[in-house]
Amino acid sequence: MKTPEKHIGKPMNRVDGRQKVTGAATYSAEYELPGLVYAVLVGSTIAKGRLTGIDTKAAAGAPGVLAVVTHLNAPQTPGSKPTGKDPSQPQTTGSALRIFTDDQIRFNDQPIAVVVADTLERARYAARLVKGQYAPEKHQTNLEAGKAQAFLPTSAKKNPKSPMNDYQRGQADAYKTGAIKLEQEYVIPTEVHHPMELQAITAHWEAPDRLTLYDKTQGTMATRRDFAKEWGLPEENVKVIATFVGGAFGNALHSWPHESAAIIAAKVANRPVKLMLTREQMFTMVGYRPHTWQKVRMSATADGKITAITHESIGQTSTYEEFTESTLAQTRMMYQSPNLTTRYRLAALNVGSPIWMRGPGEATGAFALESAMDEMAYLLKLDPLEFRLRNYTEQDPETGKPWSSKFLKECYRLGAERVGWNQRQLAPGAVRDGDWLVGYGMGVGTFGAHRGSSKASARLLPNGTVLLQSAVTDIGPGTGTAMTQIAADTLGLAPAKIRFEWGNSDFAQAPTQGGSAIVNTVGPAVQEVCLALKDKLRELAGAGNAAFASAKKEDVIFADDHLTLSGNDTARASYADLVKQAGGTAVTVQSKPNGENGQKYSMYSFSVHFAQVRVHVLTGEVRVSKLVSCADAGTIINEKTAGNQMKGGAVGGIGMALMEHAIIDDRFGRYVTKDLADYHVPVHADAPDIQVAFVNQPDPYVNALGTKGIGEIATIGVAPAIANAVFNATGKRVRELPITPDKLV
Amino acid sequence: MNQFQYVRPTKAQAAIDAVAKDANAAFIAGGTNLVDLMKRGVMTPQKLVDINRLPLRQIERVGTGLRIGALALNSAVADDRLVREKHPLLALALNAGASPQLRNMATVGGNMLQRTRCAYFYDVAMPCNKRQPGSGCGALEGINRMHAIFGFSDKCIAVHPSDMSVALVALDATVLLSGPKGDRKLAFADFHRLPGTTPERDTNLEPSELITAVEIPDSPFTRHVHYQKVRERASYAFALLSVAAALDLDGNTIKAARLAMGGVAHKPWRLAAAEQALVGQPATEAAFQRAAAVAMQGAKAFKHNEYKLRLGPNAIVQALKTAAAA
Amino acid sequence: MAANPEPDVPANHNENRRTFLKQSSLLTALALVPAPVVSAAEAKLDERVAESIEKVPLSLKVNGKKYKLSVEPRTTLLDLLRENLHLNGTKKGCDYGQCGACTVHVEGQRVNSCLSFAVMHDGQEITTIEGLADGDKLHPMQEAFVKHDGFQCGYCTPGQIMSAVACVREGHAGSADEIREYMSGNICRCGAYSNIVAAIQDVKQGGQKV
Repeated sequence: MKTPEKHIGKPMNRVDGRQKVTGAATYSAEYELPGLVYAVLVGSTIAKGRLTGIDTKAAAGAPGVLAVVTHLNAPQTPGSKPTGKDPSQPQTTGSALRIFTDDQIRFNDQPIAVVVADTLERARYAARLVKGQYAPEKHQTNLEAGKAQAFLPTSAKKNPKSPMNDYQRGQADAYKTGAIKLEQEYVIPTEVHHPMELQAITAHWEAPDRLTLYDKTQGTMATRRDFAKEWGLPEENVKVIATFVGGAFGNALHSWPHESAAIIAAKVANRPVKLMLTREQMFTMVGYRPHTWQKVRMSATADGKITAITHESIGQTSTYEEFTESTLAQTRMMYQSPNLTTRYRLAALNVGSPIWMRGPGEATGAFALESAMDEMAYLLKLDPLEFRLRNYTEQDPETGKPWSSKFLKECYRLGAERVGWNQRQLAPGAVRDGDWLVGYGMGVGTFGAHRGSSKASARLLPNGTVLLQSAVTDIGPGTGTAMTQIAADTLGLAPAKIRFEWGNSDFAQAPTQGGSAIVNTVGPAVQEVCLALKDKLRELAGAGNAAFASAKKEDVIFADDHLTLSGNDTARASYADLVKQAGGTAVTVQSKPNGENGQKYSMYSFSVHFAQVRVHVLTGEVRVSKLVSCADAGTIINEKTAGNQMKGGAVGGIGMALMEHAIIDDRFGRYVTKDLADYHVPVHADAPDIQVAFVNQPDPYVNALGTKGIGEIATIGVAPAIANAVFNATGKRVRELPITPDKLV
Repeated sequence: MNQFQYVRPTKAQAAIDAVAKDANAAFIAGGTNLVDLMKRGVMTPQKLVDINRLPLRQIERVGTGLRIGALALNSAVADDRLVREKHPLLALALNAGASPQLRNMATVGGNMLQRTRCAYFYDVAMPCNKRQPGSGCGALEGINRMHAIFGFSDKCIAVHPSDMSVALVALDATVLLSGPKGDRKLAFADFHRLPGTTPERDTNLEPSELITAVEIPDSPFTRHVHYQKVRERASYAFALLSVAAALDLDGNTIKAARLAMGGVAHKPWRLAAAEQALVGQPATEAAFQRAAAVAMQGAKAFKHNEYKLRLGPNAIVQALKTAAAA
Repeated sequence: MAANPEPDVPANHNENRRTFLKQSSLLTALALVPAPVVSAAEAKLDERVAESIEKVPLSLKVNGKKYKLSVEPRTTLLDLLRENLHLNGTKKGCDYGQCGACTVHVEGQRVNSCLSFAVMHDGQEITTIEGLADGDKLHPMQEAFVKHDGFQCGYCTPGQIMSAVACVREGHAGSADEIREYMSGNICRCGAYSNIVAAIQDVKQGGQKV
């Protein structure tokens, strides 16, 4: 008997690769439905005030127009009725802004109408004919001005255990008495997710009380829940399909106004409706990484031991929703500082709501923390890597718990070696190559290793193949591929005989894809459902063959589409026969929901990024010439897709460091960066050949697979690595991102 | 986008007549800027005259110069053997612009006629004198980090975004035009205009006039040339500013020089005084710095583009250094 | 080549013509019908007439298949492919020529299909991602993208592949740096750039016909 081939850890090609390279992958605006019509949103042109009137006559009379919906004629849904809540208490993250319910304008480009027409061109034209009249009020879109009214999030006020509360260990603000002190402010601008796929939804009322949505969402079940609630429908009457999602990076973690608008439009027009946002609208109504001010004060002993850190943050949110993120989490647990203070505040502005963007919060916080670490190392005349090693934590200083696993030192070693850290000069501006200054920098990232609750279903079909289903989405990391590998190893089946289906809210319960938690969460569910399927098969085999019934569990071998028994050459039951035996159609099992595994350990993924940059002495242009990302992310299921995800996160970090900034003209409260020509994201020429190294050691506690998650740590820490390298190259410390040439000349 | 009439003549005269007949008609060639502006409601022609089938794609020797048809694609010009041999600066500038796909669509004439990328011009909900005369200049007191440091007016501080035009103005090109009143020639330097009180007019084209070709006289600037474009990412971005530099060297002595900047004014900005300052000088960084200082005389910054006063001279020096070493 | 023999006669007739038609032939034709029906029918007929007048004929060859179409001049090539021909492989990522997701080949050259009107391509040959493979056999560039994992979410992928094929054909795939420059018109927000460059180099070095 041969040992079944192992698939976990192998660089298997993606299961949906062929669809993606042939154009056959279907995204949410690409479903052909009979009678499909087009919806286009009309946005407000003021940031705050009231709609005093809205002229829809010309639009309604334009050729091909089927409906023009505004707050004056929109159907009121159960979910849009006032809840009686105190309006001065904005909602916490997760609830969509109800649209077309009142005349209030809360941000610029807020949808004030949706136009439905028989063709896209006609809908777009008619949308231009809708004119709002406004009673504007004084708006505030400037974070610097909004800081004066910054407040503790309501979630923290209500819940003393909320991590958004002020945190204190040791003495408060003890940096004041430290030997060597540092006090600096750091700012990141608003950054926008900008997945390549414009946010799109196709809404289809299949019956007056049955709704199907083909939607760009990271969570089919969350979207189903939101819109079932909005329309007062039982959840099973709403189906959400998101088989292919053209990137999201967090911006499809939330239900947004355009989704509500499309569903309303489909109801009013009584036709399936397709709505795709414009690139301008991607800035205003589907979230962003919020403009954030931070201050870090740090003290250390002359021999490089941190004695105190105080880290404060004020992030922007909207006036109707309190968006919070874990900006200060990394500061509390990364370094061994006996005295540590963090304070998190929000500033509510007349803007759309933010939403978590790749490495949410932590990426913002890490820019400040890891820049400050570099600044302190410089003050101490210490190598920044050595400084970090002197303050390395062997257990979580925030909770006092041991780490479930931590191989960050191994990451440091791998990365330093690959980038050539020994070439780094302590003195900035010391290395020049022609017209370019060369520098090295590092930045550390971490993100909680979470395991959520999930189920999976498995069906053995008569042809001996297994169909697995999960409501989870795959926004690009290769979830479907990883799950197939996990199932293949658990079942002893070739990946080609397994089909993993995802992206449908009718499938087995799964969480929203985000927070680097999917392999940790759905992976074990797939593993468990496969084990349950094997139990069922063993049972069936036992019923047909006494040898199986009396055999010990561990003697039953699952391989090559058959059950066999170790030490028994005659016992043999084919999967296909077992299906027949079970009634002919399939053997079906569903796993139980599982969840977080104990609270005895602090569970985190870790990463370190090393950058080599070149800065032009005259033009101030920065090129990232080397980028090495090393991760302690537990077991790596697929080196190819995981490596790709790490590289992608690094490219996101290059964008954050060097070019991404959405700018509002505060006089109008409107973005002047309105498309991808103004809002720069990295192109091919900005990305070096990024090197990735995984420690690839299983975590014993997060889940049975040993995984910890990759998506966030791929980005967290990259921006400060680059900023630190720019300092090393030039001696110029840029504390407000992005590091554009104007800041260096 | 509004509906429009669409005609596709095959003769230049028919195209000119088709535009002349209609107050709100426009030519369309590559469409890479016009289609974009029409989608956003910034430009709303009622009639489009598609000139892509006019015979204006030739690149040929004419007398002691090179004539490039107005419909020659940016990619075709950049790859053309004659262009690379006689005017490598033009090929460099073209390849610094846009992306391969856009260069396969954009024409020489259309590239010259690009509108500004000023955000206030693009957003119909904000004021812009260029888009809507009398509505005010949004950039003047607004976000103006991309804006002009030369030749602006209090009506408009936008910049012209073309890279190709910066090279053409440096190379003393001439624009060939055909219009209802016949054919004429215009020095490239006089083609684009400064905003003054009428920023709605980008160029000195007469109504219904069609660009038929650009002519570039032969010059000694066939080797020591460079197009230095400074942008916020490594490729596929409009310039913060750019410099076209060309030197004619005798040993290490500068016999003649050409210098022009992009991204600093409402038109490609020729730096004649700086050119003069270089003649007879040795090709050294010190001489380049002196010329750069001359070039920047009269520059004035706004709230967010003060960096251009530092970046400008640096980019000039870098362009000249690279050109000299080429 | 011209669609209309008389160049100054619009391919889609002007507003006057439309008004004229509406006022003459249509109303004459409807004169014998009872009044309430007239108004309803007129509205519909007017719509139909308007549609036929506003549209222009267009012949295209897409992926080897000939199409005889009638389209509004304002329909972009991208929207025609996606919304009318249901060739959804070509993606809309920005609609302004700033991302490259809509890259197709027109007469063998890569272009952004979002920035040109479909009518401008009358008589031309278009190739989209759906037309790249030879039946079930993937194009070498498609194979290489799968092998090197040159994508994540897959949305920019058709544009990247169409651009990559052109990049090799144009002779701009000589080095990794040259590939990066000549692929910079195709944005991948997932950041799979290293893998895309590896895929292109593999195809280029493999020497297969692209």
